[in-house]
Amino acid sequence: MNLQLFVSGISMGFVYGMIAMGMVLIFRSVGVMNFAQGEFLMFGGYLCYTFNQLVGLNIVVSMILACLAMAIVGIIFQRFVYWPLRTAQVRAIIVSMMGASIAFKEGAKLIWGSMPKNADKLMEGTIQTASGAFIQKQYLAIILVAVILMVLVYILLEKTFIGNIMQATAQDQYTASLMGIPVVLSISLTFAISAVITGICGGLLAPIFFINTTMGATAGSKAFAAIVIGGFGSIPGAIIGGLIVGLIESFGGVYISSTYQLVIIYVVLILFLMFRPQGIFGGKIQEKA
Amino acid sequence: MKSHQYRNSLFVILLMAVLVFFLPQLVSSYILNVLIVGMCTYLCVMSVYVLLGMCGQNSFAQAGLWGVGGYITANLTIKLDMAQIPSMLLSILGTALICFVLGFAFFRLKQYYFTFATIGLMTILNSLFTNWNEGTGGAIGMKDIPEFGVFGITFSNDTQYLYLYFGLCAIAFLLIKVLYNSALGRSFMAIRDNEIAANCMGVNSLLTKSIAFGISGALCGLAGAMYAFYAGYLSYPTFTYNQSTLYLVMLMLGGTMSPVGAVIGSFVIIMLQEWLRPLQEVMMFIYGVGIIVLMVFQPEGILGGVKSLYDKCKNRGKARIEA
Repeated sequence: MNLQLFVSGISMGFVYGMIAMGMVLIFRSVGVMNFAQGEFLMFGGYLCYTFNQLVGLNIVVSMILACLAMAIVGIIFQRFVYWPLRTAQVRAIIVSMMGASIAFKEGAKLIWGSMPKNADKLMEGTIQTASGAFIQKQYLAIILVAVILMVLVYILLEKTFIGNIMQATAQDQYTASLMGIPVVLSISLTFAISAVITGICGGLLAPIFFINTTMGATAGSKAFAAIVIGGFGSIPGAIIGGLIVGLIESFGGVYISSTYQLVIIYVVLILFLMFRPQGIFGGKIQEKA
Repeated sequence: MKSHQYRNSLFVILLMAVLVFFLPQLVSSYILNVLIVGMCTYLCVMSVYVLLGMCGQNSFAQAGLWGVGGYITANLTIKLDMAQIPSMLLSILGTALICFVLGFAFFRLKQYYFTFATIGLMTILNSLFTNWNEGTGGAIGMKDIPEFGVFGITFSNDTQYLYLYFGLCAIAFLLIKVLYNSALGRSFMAIRDNEIAANCMGVNSLLTKSIAFGISGALCGLAGAMYAFYAGYLSYPTFTYNQSTLYLVMLMLGGTMSPVGAVIGSFVIIMLQEWLRPLQEVMMFIYGVGIIVLMVFQPEGILGGVKSLYDKCKNRGKARIEA
């Protein structure tokens, strides 16, 4: 029982962590919280469903195609929702992102209808442990894919030239442009990566929870909590925060109260805000915000 | 306090009053209904104006506070058989007090962190509305809230409600205008523009921001009581996070620099939702795209656009005279 809860908590935690990581990447790059990040999750899930169920491709192939499509979605999002407003007040950008979130949700409803959709599992079947716990292999697949992606993003950001460009842009756009860095390209890339890592989670969650148009908002709000708990603006913080939120969700739902599952997360969030506003990892970018 | 400061707003209110007086003859009863609920929305947008436009703090809990006001009224009138006016006043006071006290806790956090805390508050409140059976009726909601009544007159038709609620909205509008011109309002704006400088000038920013949150809570409480009396039924899907974000969108659409922006923004969006209703499913999509387009082309809102157009015309006139 506990092992089961632990595995599902950790895997959901990785999903929240990935969404949170996507948000943090965008926040570090442009200084605005992306209020439409949850919608990337939903959109990625639907794209995966399209390639997998409607076109009939293998789940791995359709996930890769969904990733490519999500990269394009991210770039379009950046071009039309953020870029024209880059010199405006932050709250104008936030409102425009909220508009985008509505447009995504309703667009998905128009394209795919309001019936919940699903996709194939990456790994079929369940594992039975010695103590009698049943663990869906899909949860393990989520953890595996998430870890691989996180390592890839880490390598990209810290070890490659492109990563240096992106970090330079995140620290100071103007100076970066003086150094000859193509700021537009670098920001586009950040949005694309953010959309991809969030979108792939949608495809991973599809067989377990089904995709519907409101899943983005719920997951997005939990990712917010993850960001604050982990430390605002910090990428490792986002992942750790996501794991904490996932574990609180699965254990709190069983041991405290299932009706107040979401409340427990937010009470923890507010307690964190009160007593440790900088989160577990106080990010170095924090002073900028 | 000089009278000319209020001349414009009194003029606007008078103009609106004339319009509202003839409204029941002009529009269908359905639109009337929409407008009355819209007045509650307007008060909530006004509460966002006090927090964001005047004090520079962004809150996403307003719909939840609206619900708190509504449920206080419902509990007082149904369970304690209290008269309508005292319960309305108590729900205003109660919501304001809740916000004021929470403000002391929440405003230890700055800017973004405060916004996160209010998102948390919103989710907690909505979850309470959904699950707390004793206090809010849970998923079933609270029904049979009595009609509004005063001195033995019960308000039963929409026209009476329209006049009464318009009066309440006008009073709220004027009070906010008074606040805008008062020392307290100026300290709000000092905090909005530069909190550290405001502190140096002797503004107690924690207390002042809590007061701003309290005032916004009072407006939401009033809106909640009004909604409870008019609708006669409260349930949790009304008070959601999405509704809160809608208030921000309305204010940004109208313009954050003046309470008139709240009037324009809430009216335009409410009427747009009605006019676009024949489009059905496509409507919300167009609405979302419309918000993006509006922000891209007019980040200062409708009022900001009108203002810059007005300034441009004025300068052109001046240039012509000089030439």
